[in-house]
Amino acid sequence: MATDRKRVAGPESSVAPLVEYPIDHQPWTPFTEKRHDSHRQPEDLRPIYLKTGLISEANGSAYIELEKTKLTCGVYGPRPVKRAGQGFSDRGTLNCEIKFATFSCVKRRGTMRDAQEKELSQILSQGLTPAVRLELFPKSNVDIYITVLESDGWGSCVAAAFTVASVALAHAGIEMLDLVAGCSASYVPTSIPSTTSTSSTSEAPSEGAGSITPQIFMDADLEEEKFQQGSIVLAYMPSLNQTTHVLQTGKAEGAIISQSVEHCVEACNKIFAVMNHALLESIDQKKV
Amino acid sequence: MATPAFTFTPSTFQKLHPAEFFRRFTTEGVRPDGRLLDAFRPTTVHHGVISTANSSAMVRIGGTTVVCGVKAEVAEPKLDAPDQGYLVPNVELSPMCSSKFRPGPPSEQAQAVSEAINRVLKESKVLDLKDLCIEEGKAVWVLYVDAVCVAYDGNIFDAALAAIMAALKNVRIRKPTYQEGTIKVSGGSTATDENSFTLNLARAPLSATFAIFDTTLTILADPNVTEESISDGQISITLDETGLLCGVTKIGAASCSQSVMRDCVQSAKKRTLQLRAIMSQQ
Repeated sequence: MATDRKRVAGPESSVAPLVEYPIDHQPWTPFTEKRHDSHRQPEDLRPIYLKTGLISEANGSAYIELEKTKLTCGVYGPRPVKRAGQGFSDRGTLNCEIKFATFSCVKRRGTMRDAQEKELSQILSQGLTPAVRLELFPKSNVDIYITVLESDGWGSCVAAAFTVASVALAHAGIEMLDLVAGCSASYVPTSIPSTTSTSSTSEAPSEGAGSITPQIFMDADLEEEKFQQGSIVLAYMPSLNQTTHVLQTGKAEGAIISQSVEHCVEACNKIFAVMNHALLESIDQKKV
Repeated sequence: MATPAFTFTPSTFQKLHPAEFFRRFTTEGVRPDGRLLDAFRPTTVHHGVISTANSSAMVRIGGTTVVCGVKAEVAEPKLDAPDQGYLVPNVELSPMCSSKFRPGPPSEQAQAVSEAINRVLKESKVLDLKDLCIEEGKAVWVLYVDAVCVAYDGNIFDAALAAIMAALKNVRIRKPTYQEGTIKVSGGSTATDENSFTLNLARAPLSATFAIFDTTLTILADPNVTEESISDGQISITLDETGLLCGVTKIGAASCSQSVMRDCVQSAKKRTLQLRAIMSQQ
Protein backbone atom coordinates (compact mmCIF):
# COMPACT_ATOMS: atom_id res chain seq x y z
CA MET A 1 0.00 0.00 0.00
CA ALA A 2 1.43 3.41 -0.91
CA THR A 3 2.36 5.55 2.06
CA ASP A 4 -0.42 8.02 2.71
CA ARG A 5 1.44 11.27 3.23
CA LYS A 6 -1.63 13.10 4.44
CA ARG A 7 -2.09 11.01 7.55
CA VAL A 8 0.05 10.36 10.59
CA ALA A 9 2.33 7.62 9.33
CA GLY A 10 2.52 4.18 10.82
CA PRO A 11 4.82 1.35 9.72
CA GLU A 12 4.91 0.51 6.01
CA SER A 13 2.99 -2.69 6.53
CA SER A 14 1.44 -4.51 9.42
CA VAL A 15 -0.48 -7.74 9.87
CA ALA A 16 -2.97 -9.05 12.34
CA PRO A 17 -1.56 -11.79 14.59
CA LEU A 18 -2.53 -15.43 13.97
CA VAL A 19 -5.24 -16.55 16.30
CA GLU A 20 -4.74 -19.98 17.81
CA TYR A 21 -7.75 -21.52 19.41
CA PRO A 22 -7.42 -23.97 22.33
CA ILE A 23 -8.16 -27.65 21.61
CA ASP A 24 -11.45 -27.62 23.45
CA HIS A 25 -12.72 -24.56 21.55
CA GLN A 26 -15.99 -25.36 19.78
CA PRO A 27 -16.88 -22.71 17.25
CA TRP A 28 -20.47 -22.44 16.09
CA THR A 29 -21.41 -24.48 13.00
CA PRO A 30 -24.77 -24.60 11.25
CA PHE A 31 -24.83 -28.37 11.65
CA THR A 32 -26.16 -27.99 15.16
CA GLU A 33 -29.49 -27.01 13.58
CA LYS A 34 -29.51 -23.71 15.45
CA ARG A 35 -28.51 -20.24 14.38
CA HIS A 36 -25.46 -18.46 15.72
CA ASP A 37 -27.76 -16.54 18.03
CA SER A 38 -29.71 -19.49 19.39
CA HIS A 39 -32.74 -17.33 20.14
CA ARG A 40 -33.28 -16.62 16.45
CA GLN A 41 -35.29 -18.73 14.03
CA PRO A 42 -34.16 -18.99 10.39
CA GLU A 43 -36.78 -16.42 9.35
CA ASP A 44 -36.07 -13.96 12.17
CA LEU A 45 -34.39 -10.63 11.54
CA ARG A 46 -32.25 -8.93 14.11
CA PRO A 47 -34.07 -6.14 15.98
CA ILE A 48 -33.57 -2.82 14.23
CA TYR A 49 -32.84 0.45 15.99
CA LEU A 50 -33.34 3.42 13.69
CA LYS A 51 -32.98 7.07 14.62
CA THR A 52 -32.86 10.27 12.58
CA GLY A 53 -31.29 13.66 13.06
CA LEU A 54 -27.94 12.86 14.67
CA ILE A 55 -25.93 15.01 12.26
CA SER A 56 -27.01 18.63 12.70
CA GLU A 57 -25.02 19.96 9.75
CA ALA A 58 -26.62 17.58 7.26
CA ASN A 59 -29.93 18.20 5.50
CA GLY A 60 -30.99 14.75 6.62
CA SER A 61 -29.34 12.03 8.65
CA ALA A 62 -30.10 8.63 10.11
CA TYR A 63 -28.44 5.97 12.23
CA ILE A 64 -29.22 2.26 12.11
CA GLU A 65 -28.22 -0.59 14.39
CA LEU A 66 -28.84 -4.27 13.76
CA GLU A 67 -27.27 -5.53 16.99
CA LYS A 68 -23.63 -5.44 15.92
CA THR A 69 -24.03 -3.79 12.53
CA LYS A 70 -23.92 0.01 12.93
CA LEU A 71 -24.21 2.54 10.13
CA THR A 72 -24.62 6.31 10.00
CA CYS A 73 -25.85 8.22 6.98
CA GLY A 74 -25.77 11.91 6.13
CA VAL A 75 -27.65 13.39 3.17
CA TYR A 76 -26.72 16.73 1.66
CA GLY A 77 -28.82 18.32 -1.02
CA PRO A 78 -30.23 19.12 -3.35
CA ARG A 79 -27.23 21.32 -3.96
CA PRO A 80 -25.92 22.78 -7.21
CA VAL A 81 -23.56 20.69 -9.29
CA LYS A 82 -20.01 22.09 -9.27
CA ARG A 83 -19.26 21.50 -12.91
CA ALA A 84 -22.22 22.98 -14.77
CA GLY A 85 -20.33 22.61 -18.03
CA GLN A 86 -21.22 18.94 -18.22
CA GLY A 87 -24.29 19.74 -20.24
CA PHE A 88 -27.77 20.51 -19.10
CA SER A 89 -29.70 17.65 -17.63
CA ASP A 90 -33.32 17.99 -16.70
CA ARG A 91 -32.86 15.38 -14.02
CA GLY A 92 -30.84 15.74 -10.84
CA THR A 93 -28.20 13.22 -9.87
CA LEU A 94 -27.81 11.01 -6.85
CA ASN A 95 -24.30 10.38 -5.57
CA CYS A 96 -23.77 7.72 -2.97
CA GLU A 97 -20.52 7.08 -1.10
CA ILE A 98 -20.06 4.37 1.48
CA LYS A 99 -16.99 3.97 3.65
CA PHE A 100 -16.15 1.31 6.17
CA ALA A 101 -14.38 2.71 9.21
CA THR A 102 -10.94 1.16 9.69
CA PHE A 103 -12.07 -0.51 12.93
CA SER A 104 -15.40 -1.75 11.59
CA CYS A 105 -14.29 -5.23 10.55
CA VAL A 106 -12.34 -8.00 12.25
CA LYS A 107 -9.37 -7.29 9.99
CA ARG A 108 -8.42 -3.63 9.90
CA ARG A 109 -9.52 -1.91 6.72
CA GLY A 110 -7.50 0.67 4.79
CA THR A 111 -8.15 4.39 5.05
CA MET A 112 -8.55 4.87 1.33
CA ARG A 113 -11.66 3.68 -0.47
CA ASP A 114 -11.01 0.27 -1.96
CA ALA A 115 -12.72 -1.50 -4.84
CA GLN A 116 -15.33 -3.18 -2.65
CA GLU A 117 -16.49 0.16 -1.27
CA LYS A 118 -16.60 1.69 -4.74
CA GLU A 119 -18.72 -1.21 -5.98
CA LEU A 120 -21.04 -0.93 -3.00
CA SER A 121 -21.45 2.78 -3.64
CA GLN A 122 -22.55 1.99 -7.20
CA ILE A 123 -24.98 -0.66 -5.97
CA LEU A 124 -26.53 1.78 -3.52
CA SER A 125 -26.91 4.50 -6.15
CA GLN A 126 -28.59 2.05 -8.48
CA GLY A 127 -30.92 0.82 -5.79
CA LEU A 128 -31.96 4.25 -4.53
CA THR A 129 -32.25 6.23 -7.78
CA PRO A 130 -35.58 4.70 -8.91
CA ALA A 131 -37.21 5.83 -5.70
CA VAL A 132 -36.11 9.48 -5.73
CA ARG A 133 -37.94 12.10 -7.79
CA LEU A 134 -34.84 13.40 -9.53
CA GLU A 135 -36.86 15.38 -12.07
CA LEU A 136 -37.75 17.85 -9.34
CA PHE A 137 -34.21 19.20 -9.00
CA PRO A 138 -32.43 19.62 -12.34
CA LYS A 139 -28.83 20.83 -12.37
CA SER A 140 -28.60 19.69 -8.75
CA ASN A 141 -27.06 16.83 -6.91
CA VAL A 142 -27.99 14.91 -3.80
CA ASP A 143 -25.03 13.45 -1.89
CA ILE A 144 -25.51 10.46 0.37
CA TYR A 145 -22.58 9.62 2.63
CA ILE A 146 -22.64 6.42 4.67
CA THR A 147 -20.08 5.35 7.25
CA VAL A 148 -20.11 1.78 8.52
CA LEU A 149 -18.97 1.94 12.14
CA GLU A 150 -19.24 -1.77 12.81
CA SER A 151 -19.94 -4.62 10.41
CA ASP A 152 -21.41 -8.00 11.36
CA GLY A 153 -22.11 -9.67 8.06
CA TRP A 154 -21.58 -8.19 4.61
CA GLY A 155 -25.16 -8.83 3.44
CA SER A 156 -26.65 -7.14 6.45
CA CYS A 157 -24.39 -4.12 5.87
CA VAL A 158 -25.63 -3.66 2.33
CA ALA A 159 -29.26 -4.12 3.34
CA ALA A 160 -28.90 -1.73 6.27
CA ALA A 161 -27.25 0.81 3.93
CA PHE A 162 -30.35 0.87 1.72
CA THR A 163 -32.60 1.28 4.73
CA VAL A 164 -30.62 4.01 6.44
CA ALA A 165 -30.10 5.96 3.20
CA SER A 166 -33.86 5.99 2.47
CA VAL A 167 -34.69 7.19 5.95
CA ALA A 168 -32.03 9.91 5.75
CA LEU A 169 -33.36 11.02 2.33
CA ALA A 170 -36.87 11.24 3.75
CA HIS A 171 -35.57 13.13 6.79
CA ALA A 172 -33.91 15.61 4.41
CA GLY A 173 -37.29 16.27 2.84
CA ILE A 174 -36.28 15.01 -0.59
CA GLU A 175 -39.36 13.86 -2.45
CA MET A 176 -39.43 10.17 -3.16
CA LEU A 177 -41.87 7.78 -4.79
CA ASP A 178 -41.39 5.38 -1.90
CA LEU A 179 -38.94 4.37 0.81
CA VAL A 180 -36.46 1.65 -0.11
CA ALA A 181 -36.12 -1.13 2.45
CA GLY A 182 -33.15 -3.49 2.27
CA CYS A 183 -33.02 -7.10 3.39
CA SER A 184 -30.48 -9.90 3.12
CA ALA A 185 -30.55 -13.67 3.35
CA SER A 186 -27.94 -16.43 3.24
CA TYR A 187 -28.16 -19.97 1.95
CA VAL A 188 -26.48 -22.09 4.61
CA PRO A 189 -26.25 -25.87 4.47
CA THR A 190 -27.39 -27.28 7.78
CA SER A 191 -26.36 -30.85 7.17
CA ILE A 192 -23.30 -32.55 5.71
CA PRO A 193 -23.77 -34.88 2.70
CA SER A 194 -23.49 -38.63 3.40
CA THR A 195 -20.15 -38.92 1.53
CA THR A 196 -18.41 -37.19 4.42
CA SER A 197 -20.12 -39.13 7.20
CA THR A 198 -16.72 -39.96 8.68
CA SER A 199 -16.44 -36.34 9.84
CA SER A 200 -16.52 -36.23 13.61
CA THR A 201 -18.18 -32.82 13.85
CA SER A 202 -21.38 -34.02 12.22
CA GLU A 203 -24.23 -34.39 14.65
CA ALA A 204 -27.23 -33.96 12.37
CA PRO A 205 -28.47 -36.86 10.23
CA SER A 206 -27.25 -36.60 6.68
CA GLU A 207 -29.63 -35.98 3.78
CA GLY A 208 -29.69 -37.85 0.48
CA ALA A 209 -26.30 -38.43 -1.07
CA GLY A 210 -24.88 -35.53 -3.12
CA SER A 211 -27.50 -32.76 -3.06
CA ILE A 212 -27.87 -30.62 0.03
CA THR A 213 -30.76 -28.23 0.13
CA PRO A 214 -29.42 -25.24 2.02
CA GLN A 215 -31.57 -23.51 4.54
CA ILE A 216 -32.44 -19.86 4.13
CA PHE A 217 -31.14 -17.82 7.06
CA MET A 218 -32.60 -14.32 7.03
CA ASP A 219 -30.25 -11.48 7.99
CA ALA A 220 -27.21 -13.69 8.55
CA ASP A 221 -24.39 -12.43 10.73
CA LEU A 222 -20.64 -12.82 10.16
CA GLU A 223 -20.31 -16.30 11.70
CA GLU A 224 -23.23 -17.64 9.67
CA GLU A 225 -21.91 -16.09 6.44
CA LYS A 226 -18.69 -18.07 6.78
CA PHE A 227 -20.64 -21.24 5.97
CA GLN A 228 -22.89 -19.84 3.29
CA GLN A 229 -23.13 -21.27 -0.21
CA GLY A 230 -24.69 -18.10 -1.56
CA SER A 231 -26.52 -15.01 -0.49
CA ILE A 232 -29.07 -12.52 -1.68
CA VAL A 233 -29.62 -8.83 -0.92
CA LEU A 234 -32.88 -7.24 -1.96
CA ALA A 235 -33.82 -3.56 -2.12
CA TYR A 236 -37.57 -3.20 -2.28
CA MET A 237 -40.14 -0.40 -2.37
CA PRO A 238 -42.94 -1.69 -0.12
CA SER A 239 -45.79 0.65 -1.06
CA LEU A 240 -45.26 0.23 -4.78
CA ASN A 241 -44.43 -3.46 -4.47
CA GLN A 242 -41.42 -3.02 -6.74
CA THR A 243 -37.87 -4.26 -6.39
CA THR A 244 -35.14 -1.74 -7.11
CA HIS A 245 -32.11 -3.97 -6.77
CA VAL A 246 -31.28 -7.64 -6.38
CA LEU A 247 -27.78 -8.85 -5.66
CA GLN A 248 -27.40 -12.62 -5.62
CA THR A 249 -24.01 -14.32 -5.20
CA GLY A 250 -22.88 -17.91 -4.85
CA LYS A 251 -24.77 -20.93 -6.07
CA ALA A 252 -28.36 -21.86 -5.40
CA GLU A 253 -31.20 -23.56 -7.21
CA GLY A 254 -33.91 -21.42 -8.81
CA ALA A 255 -36.51 -22.61 -6.31
CA ILE A 256 -34.40 -21.53 -3.36
CA ILE A 257 -33.80 -18.11 -4.89
CA SER A 258 -37.50 -17.43 -5.52
CA GLN A 259 -38.32 -18.62 -2.03
CA SER A 260 -35.71 -16.32 -0.51
CA VAL A 261 -36.98 -13.39 -2.58
CA GLU A 262 -40.46 -13.96 -1.11
CA HIS A 263 -39.01 -14.10 2.41
CA CYS A 264 -37.05 -10.91 1.77
CA VAL A 265 -40.14 -9.10 0.50
CA GLU A 266 -42.03 -10.09 3.66
CA ALA A 267 -39.12 -8.92 5.78
CA CYS A 268 -38.92 -5.62 3.88
CA ASN A 269 -42.56 -4.97 4.74
CA LYS A 270 -41.72 -5.38 8.42
CA ILE A 271 -38.68 -3.11 8.05
CA PHE A 272 -40.91 -0.54 6.31
CA ALA A 273 -42.99 -0.29 9.49
CA VAL A 274 -39.84 0.42 11.53
CA MET A 275 -38.72 3.08 9.03
CA ASN A 276 -42.10 4.81 9.19
CA HIS A 277 -42.05 4.76 12.96
CA ALA A 278 -38.60 6.39 13.05
CA LEU A 279 -39.67 9.12 10.62
CA LEU A 280 -42.88 9.85 12.54
CA GLU A 281 -40.84 10.15 15.74
CA SER A 282 -38.57 12.70 14.06
CA ILE A 283 -41.56 14.79 13.02
CA ASP A 284 -42.86 14.72 16.59
CA GLN A 285 -39.46 15.88 17.81
CA LYS A 286 -39.47 18.79 15.38
CA LYS A 287 -42.89 19.91 16.60
CA VAL A 288 -41.55 20.02 20.14
CA MET B 1 -38.84 62.85 3.27
CA ALA B 2 -37.77 60.45 6.03
CA THR B 3 -35.44 57.61 4.99
CA PRO B 4 -37.10 54.22 5.43
CA ALA B 5 -35.81 52.14 8.31
CA PHE B 6 -34.60 48.64 7.49
CA THR B 7 -35.78 45.87 9.72
CA PHE B 8 -34.76 42.23 9.37
CA THR B 9 -35.96 39.01 10.87
CA PRO B 10 -33.29 37.56 13.18
CA SER B 11 -32.38 34.77 10.74
CA THR B 12 -31.89 37.23 7.86
CA PHE B 13 -29.82 39.50 10.06
CA GLN B 14 -27.67 36.53 11.04
CA LYS B 15 -26.96 35.75 7.41
CA LEU B 16 -26.18 39.35 6.41
CA HIS B 17 -24.14 40.47 9.41
CA PRO B 18 -23.03 37.38 11.30
CA ALA B 19 -20.46 39.15 13.44
CA GLU B 20 -22.82 41.97 14.41
CA PHE B 21 -25.64 39.50 15.13
CA PHE B 22 -23.26 37.68 17.40
CA ARG B 23 -22.10 40.83 19.17
CA ARG B 24 -25.68 41.66 20.14
CA PHE B 25 -25.69 38.50 22.24
CA THR B 26 -22.20 38.60 23.68
CA THR B 27 -22.64 42.14 25.03
CA GLU B 28 -25.45 40.70 27.17
CA GLY B 29 -23.15 37.88 28.31
CA VAL B 30 -24.84 35.05 26.40
CA ARG B 31 -24.54 33.35 23.01
CA PRO B 32 -27.21 32.67 20.38
CA ASP B 33 -27.63 29.08 21.58
CA GLY B 34 -28.37 30.30 25.11
CA ARG B 35 -25.05 29.36 26.72
CA LEU B 36 -23.02 31.65 28.94
CA LEU B 37 -19.68 32.71 27.51
CA ASP B 38 -17.66 30.25 29.60
CA ALA B 39 -20.06 27.31 29.43
CA PHE B 40 -19.17 24.03 27.75
CA ARG B 41 -21.84 22.05 25.97
CA PRO B 42 -23.28 18.88 27.55
CA THR B 43 -20.76 16.08 27.11
CA THR B 44 -21.30 12.32 27.15
CA VAL B 45 -18.76 9.50 26.88
CA HIS B 46 -19.61 5.87 26.06
CA HIS B 47 -17.05 3.05 26.21
CA GLY B 48 -16.91 -0.19 24.27
CA VAL B 49 -19.29 0.73 21.47
CA ILE B 50 -17.53 -1.19 18.68
CA SER B 51 -16.95 -4.89 19.32
CA THR B 52 -14.65 -5.43 16.31
CA ALA B 53 -12.10 -2.98 17.74
CA ASN B 54 -9.63 -3.75 20.55
CA SER B 55 -11.13 -0.77 22.33
CA SER B 56 -13.55 1.97 21.41
CA ALA B 57 -15.25 5.08 22.73
CA MET B 58 -17.85 7.57 21.55
CA VAL B 59 -17.74 11.16 22.75
CA ARG B 60 -20.48 13.76 22.21
CA ILE B 61 -19.81 17.43 22.93
CA GLY B 62 -23.05 19.17 21.99
CA GLY B 63 -23.63 18.38 18.33
CA THR B 64 -20.10 17.10 17.67
CA THR B 65 -19.88 13.29 17.81
CA VAL B 66 -16.62 11.36 17.48
CA VAL B 67 -16.27 7.56 17.50
CA CYS B 68 -12.77 6.24 18.16
CA GLY B 69 -11.64 2.67 17.56
CA VAL B 70 -8.27 1.10 18.38
CA LYS B 71 -6.95 -1.80 16.29
CA ALA B 72 -3.75 -3.62 17.25
CA GLU B 73 -1.63 -5.22 14.55
CA VAL B 74 1.93 -6.50 14.36
CA ALA B 75 4.77 -4.95 12.39
CA GLU B 76 8.54 -4.82 12.18
CA PRO B 77 10.03 -2.08 14.34
CA LYS B 78 12.07 0.80 12.95
CA LEU B 79 15.80 0.07 12.66
CA ASP B 80 16.74 2.86 15.04
CA ALA B 81 14.13 1.88 17.62
CA PRO B 82 14.07 -1.93 17.65
CA ASP B 83 12.24 -2.25 20.95
CA GLN B 84 9.54 0.35 20.39
CA GLY B 85 6.06 -0.11 18.99
CA TYR B 86 3.95 2.39 17.10
CA LEU B 87 1.07 4.60 18.21
CA VAL B 88 -0.71 5.98 15.14
CA PRO B 89 -3.57 8.40 15.85
CA ASN B 90 -5.67 9.80 13.02
CA VAL B 91 -8.78 11.93 12.86
CA GLU B 92 -11.20 11.42 9.95
CA LEU B 93 -13.31 14.38 8.92
CA SER B 94 -15.51 12.87 6.23
CA PRO B 95 -17.99 14.73 4.02
CA MET B 96 -20.72 12.96 6.00
CA CYS B 97 -20.18 15.00 9.14
CA SER B 98 -20.36 18.42 7.51
CA SER B 99 -20.61 20.05 4.09
CA LYS B 100 -17.32 21.85 4.85
CA PHE B 101 -15.38 18.70 3.99
CA ARG B 102 -15.04 17.41 0.46
CA PRO B 103 -14.60 13.75 -0.46
CA GLY B 104 -11.05 12.66 -1.14
CA PRO B 105 -7.81 12.81 0.83
CA PRO B 106 -7.86 14.38 4.32
CA SER B 107 -8.44 18.13 4.34
CA GLU B 108 -5.98 20.56 5.91
CA GLN B 109 -8.08 20.75 9.04
CA ALA B 110 -8.10 16.97 9.43
CA GLN B 111 -4.35 16.82 8.93
CA ALA B 112 -3.82 19.64 11.42
CA VAL B 113 -5.98 18.01 14.10
CA SER B 114 -4.37 14.59 13.57
CA GLU B 115 -0.89 16.09 13.82
CA ALA B 116 -1.83 18.12 16.91
CA ILE B 117 -3.11 15.02 18.68
CA ASN B 118 -0.08 13.02 17.56
CA ARG B 119 2.14 15.71 19.05
CA VAL B 120 0.25 15.70 22.36
CA LEU B 121 0.51 11.90 22.64
CA LYS B 122 4.19 11.76 21.69
CA GLU B 123 5.54 14.79 23.54
CA SER B 124 3.56 14.04 26.71
CA LYS B 125 4.85 10.47 26.57
CA VAL B 126 1.38 9.15 27.23
CA LEU B 127 2.45 5.62 26.41
CA ASP B 128 5.90 4.09 26.71
CA LEU B 129 6.31 2.57 23.27
CA LYS B 130 8.64 -0.07 24.75
CA ASP B 131 5.52 -1.62 26.32
CA LEU B 132 4.45 -2.51 22.79
CA CYS B 133 7.52 -4.61 22.05
CA ILE B 134 6.96 -8.31 21.33
CA GLU B 135 10.37 -9.48 20.14
CA GLU B 136 13.14 -6.91 19.95
CA GLY B 137 14.15 -6.13 16.41
CA LYS B 138 11.61 -8.53 14.96
CA ALA B 139 8.03 -7.71 15.98
CA VAL B 140 6.20 -4.94 17.79
CA TRP B 141 2.58 -3.93 18.25
CA VAL B 142 1.10 -1.11 16.17
CA LEU B 143 -1.86 0.64 17.72
CA TYR B 144 -3.97 2.30 15.05
CA VAL B 145 -6.14 4.81 16.88
CA ASP B 146 -8.71 6.12 14.42
CA ALA B 147 -11.19 8.79 15.46
CA VAL B 148 -14.07 9.13 13.00
CA CYS B 149 -16.13 12.30 13.23
CA VAL B 150 -19.75 11.29 12.78
CA ALA B 151 -21.27 14.74 13.26
CA TYR B 152 -19.43 18.07 13.22
CA ASP B 153 -20.51 21.10 15.25
CA GLY B 154 -17.21 22.73 16.12
CA ASN B 155 -14.46 21.92 18.61
CA ILE B 156 -13.27 18.72 16.97
CA PHE B 157 -9.95 18.81 18.83
CA ASP B 158 -11.48 18.41 22.30
CA ALA B 159 -13.90 15.71 21.18
CA ALA B 160 -11.29 13.72 19.24
CA LEU B 161 -8.71 13.86 22.05
CA ALA B 162 -11.30 12.83 24.65
CA ALA B 163 -12.46 9.92 22.46
CA ILE B 164 -8.87 8.80 21.84
CA MET B 165 -7.95 8.92 25.54
CA ALA B 166 -11.15 7.11 26.54
CA ALA B 167 -10.40 4.37 24.00
CA LEU B 168 -6.72 4.03 24.97
CA LYS B 169 -7.63 3.64 28.62
CA ASN B 170 -9.49 0.40 27.94
CA VAL B 171 -7.32 -1.24 25.29
CA ARG B 172 -6.95 -4.95 25.87
CA ILE B 173 -4.45 -6.86 23.73
CA ARG B 174 -4.04 -10.64 23.75
CA LYS B 175 -0.63 -11.74 25.01
CA PRO B 176 1.42 -12.79 21.98
CA THR B 177 3.87 -15.65 21.59
CA TYR B 178 6.68 -15.33 19.10
CA GLN B 179 7.44 -18.48 17.15
CA GLU B 180 9.82 -18.61 14.16
CA GLY B 181 8.71 -15.37 12.61
CA THR B 182 4.98 -15.57 13.30
CA ILE B 183 3.06 -14.00 16.10
CA LYS B 184 0.31 -16.06 17.65
CA VAL B 185 -2.35 -15.06 20.12
CA SER B 186 -4.90 -17.22 21.85
CA GLY B 187 -8.44 -17.04 20.60
CA GLY B 188 -11.82 -18.01 21.93
CA SER B 189 -13.04 -17.37 25.48
CA THR B 190 -13.16 -13.90 26.89
CA ALA B 191 -10.10 -11.73 27.36
CA THR B 192 -8.88 -11.94 30.96
CA ASP B 193 -5.84 -10.67 32.80
CA GLU B 194 -4.18 -14.02 32.14
CA ASN B 195 -4.39 -14.07 28.36
CA SER B 196 -4.34 -10.34 27.67
CA PHE B 197 -2.77 -7.13 28.90
CA THR B 198 -3.91 -3.53 29.22
CA LEU B 199 -1.90 -0.41 28.46
CA ASN B 200 -0.13 1.47 31.20
CA LEU B 201 -0.82 5.11 30.38
CA ALA B 202 1.70 7.39 32.04
CA ARG B 203 -0.44 10.48 31.52
CA ALA B 204 -3.98 11.18 30.38
CA PRO B 205 -4.13 14.56 28.66
CA LEU B 206 -7.48 16.19 27.97
CA SER B 207 -8.14 19.57 26.42
CA ALA B 208 -10.38 22.62 26.49
CA THR B 209 -10.71 24.91 23.48
CA PHE B 210 -11.73 28.56 23.44
CA ALA B 211 -12.54 30.93 20.58
CA ILE B 212 -11.13 34.46 20.59
CA PHE B 213 -13.04 37.45 19.26
CA ASP B 214 -10.60 40.26 18.69
CA THR B 215 -12.94 43.16 18.16
CA THR B 216 -15.08 42.48 21.19
CA LEU B 217 -12.25 41.03 23.32
CA THR B 218 -14.45 38.11 24.30
CA ILE B 219 -13.34 34.56 24.91
CA LEU B 220 -15.93 31.84 24.29
CA ALA B 221 -15.55 28.34 25.62
CA ASP B 222 -16.26 25.36 23.36
CA PRO B 223 -17.18 27.16 20.12
CA ASN B 224 -19.78 25.55 17.88
CA VAL B 225 -19.44 25.56 14.11
CA THR B 226 -21.01 29.02 13.58
CA GLU B 227 -18.88 30.58 16.32
CA GLU B 228 -15.75 28.93 14.88
CA SER B 229 -16.37 30.39 11.45
CA ILE B 230 -16.64 34.00 12.71
CA SER B 231 -13.97 33.79 15.40
CA ASP B 232 -10.60 35.48 14.94
CA GLY B 233 -8.57 32.81 16.65
CA GLN B 234 -8.64 29.80 18.97
CA ILE B 235 -6.76 28.67 22.07
CA SER B 236 -6.53 25.01 23.08
CA ILE B 237 -5.21 24.16 26.52
CA THR B 238 -4.25 20.54 27.21
CA LEU B 239 -3.78 19.37 30.79
CA ASP B 240 -2.96 15.99 32.28
CA GLU B 241 -4.60 14.33 35.26
CA THR B 242 -2.33 16.08 37.78
CA GLY B 243 -3.19 19.52 36.41
CA LEU B 244 0.13 20.00 34.62
CA LEU B 245 0.07 21.58 31.20
CA CYS B 246 0.67 19.21 28.28
CA GLY B 247 0.19 21.71 25.53
CA VAL B 248 -1.02 25.19 24.68
CA THR B 249 -1.93 25.98 21.08
CA LYS B 250 -3.03 29.38 19.93
CA ILE B 251 -4.00 29.74 16.31
CA GLY B 252 -5.41 32.60 14.31
CA ALA B 253 -4.67 36.27 13.96
CA ALA B 254 -6.22 37.39 17.23
CA SER B 255 -4.07 38.66 20.05
CA CYS B 256 -4.77 38.03 23.69
CA SER B 257 -3.18 39.28 26.87
CA GLN B 258 -1.48 37.22 29.56
CA SER B 259 -4.41 37.58 31.96
CA VAL B 260 -6.71 36.15 29.30
CA MET B 261 -4.34 33.20 28.90
CA ARG B 262 -4.35 32.61 32.66
CA ASP B 263 -8.14 32.74 32.74
CA CYS B 264 -8.27 30.18 29.97
CA VAL B 265 -5.91 27.85 31.84
CA GLN B 266 -8.06 28.12 34.98
CA SER B 267 -11.21 27.43 33.00
CA ALA B 268 -9.49 24.52 31.27
CA LYS B 269 -8.52 23.02 34.64
CA LYS B 270 -12.15 23.02 35.75
CA ARG B 271 -13.33 21.65 32.44
CA THR B 272 -10.83 18.78 32.30
CA LEU B 273 -11.73 17.75 35.87
CA GLN B 274 -15.38 17.67 34.81
CA LEU B 275 -14.47 15.67 31.72
CA ARG B 276 -12.49 13.10 33.72
CA ALA B 277 -15.45 12.64 36.05
CA ILE B 278 -17.72 12.02 33.05
CA MET B 279 -15.23 9.55 31.55
CA SER B 280 -14.86 7.51 34.71
CA GLN B 281 -18.60 7.32 35.32
CA GLN B 282 -19.13 4.77 32.55
